Amino acid sequence: MRTITEAAAAIRTRSISSLELTQQCLRLIEKSEPKLNAFLTVTAEHALAQAKTADEELARGVDRGPLHGVPVSLKDLFRTKGIKTTAGSLLYKDYVPDFDCAVTEKLNAAGAVMIGKTGLHELAYGVTSNNPHFGPVRNPWNTESVPGGSSGGAGASIASGTSFLAMGSDTGGSIRIPAAFCGTVGLKPTFGLVSRYGTFALGSSLDHMGPLTASVRDAAIGLTILQGADARDDFSVSRPAENYIPPQHATIKGLRIGVPANFYTDRIAPAVMAQFRKTVQLAAGLGAQVEVVTVPDIAALNAIGRVILLSEASALYEKLSAQREKFGADVLALIDQGRLLPATDYVNAQRLRRIFVNKFLELFQTIDVLLTPTAPTGAPKIGQALVTIDGTEEDTRLAATRLVRGINVLGFPALSIPTGLDEGGMPLSLQIVGRPFAEATILNAGAALEDAIQFPGLVQTQ
Amino acid sequence: MASIAMKNWKQIALANGLDIPVADLDKITPSLDGLEATFRPLTAQLNEASESSLLIRLPGSPQ
Repeated sequence: MRTITEAAAAIRTRSISSLELTQQCLRLIEKSEPKLNAFLTVTAEHALAQAKTADEELARGVDRGPLHGVPVSLKDLFRTKGIKTTAGSLLYKDYVPDFDCAVTEKLNAAGAVMIGKTGLHELAYGVTSNNPHFGPVRNPWNTESVPGGSSGGAGASIASGTSFLAMGSDTGGSIRIPAAFCGTVGLKPTFGLVSRYGTFALGSSLDHMGPLTASVRDAAIGLTILQGADARDDFSVSRPAENYIPPQHATIKGLRIGVPANFYTDRIAPAVMAQFRKTVQLAAGLGAQVEVVTVPDIAALNAIGRVILLSEASALYEKLSAQREKFGADVLALIDQGRLLPATDYVNAQRLRRIFVNKFLELFQTIDVLLTPTAPTGAPKIGQALVTIDGTEEDTRLAATRLVRGINVLGFPALSIPTGLDEGGMPLSLQIVGRPFAEATILNAGAALEDAIQFPGLVQTQ
Repeated sequence: MASIAMKNWKQIALANGLDIPVADLDKITPSLDGLEATFRPLTAQLNEASESSLLIRLPGSPQ
């Protein structure tokens, strides 16, 4: 059993109880944690109590929907009342919130069983989840490799089957990168669709909350539960609630798929590009209208994103930055960089952002979705500072974020799905970008491709 | 293409009274220079009518 859909069905047919399923996950965590370090806190007692309640409710005929009684995990930057929330930082290593964030509230209301808090890159500010304070999170496909980040524990948890939905946050790719490196699905919803209230911020105008799951339909189940306006989040958007779950036989016949002729084809590892082309051919074979398009300047968009993120993150942590010994070297370097940028650069980056959003809205008048690889390489090794693509060395962080960061600047929705394995047996992936609030379209496209690809899914930790 | 004048990040840190050790400044200079080289030319496309993408929401405004 690997999906929410399967777990929900099994719980309702009484072939397994929520308590038994939770105990299974806890046993799996106990077995895999020495290798993976995916969790900062395992909330066994809390989870078992929630599972018992879920079973009792179902016995009384109270059904809270598809997540009722299903084990989930939260990246350790989602505040949980009475449960430690560290943000992967020494600054908050003993912090126990006295309230739940909006996402925790939603999951509790849906009857989900919170099994633990997953590890992350320090303060969600990086892509490796090689945390200097809590140890590296390891990739279940190869424990010498990073799981990606910053939601690395979430990716590792889904890939190893210890939770059915793992909440992540994505400021410059932090849901989609671990999804890509761990062979899971990762959904970054449109900015404002899921409340940020009560999460640790990094870049307030770039932070998105979303699920990592084992299937596209599970991500859709998650979003259907997580969506909704929240007056406590100034960027939250009020829209009619949608059921995002794709039909059983999703189709992309007639869907206008844009395939970039520029940027997303440069400096991509050959295995990644070969698999991407194969998936595009598959989409065409399923009846999609594939159109080659020229995308606006993504290098410029990434630079705009970096100025915004460096400024917003450094503004958040400036008052704490004198405690230099409490930060890892890579995060401290980013905070220092942000402190050196002038305010005019930040404002001008936000002005440029508006221009680029309009350029992309224009592009999306001719296409329904844009397909790109999610990451230019498979997962790098732990501690690997540089990746080499086509003979050119590139900083690991900049390479991993190159194809995804710009979409945070736009705020458009994006879905990462696994598409296959490279010659080393590591996952390869595809990013599906849609126009604002077109989650139903990208999830439907993702489900159709997923059904055709039949990715192997869960992995026994190597 | 016109060349971009690089900033002296050490002097900027000093002038702003930032407590960043020189060795740490040396490490981040290449990254800042690279960002400057890409970002600075983009600002040429801004004009008086270019508004920020961030807007304030006042109480009572629709979400």
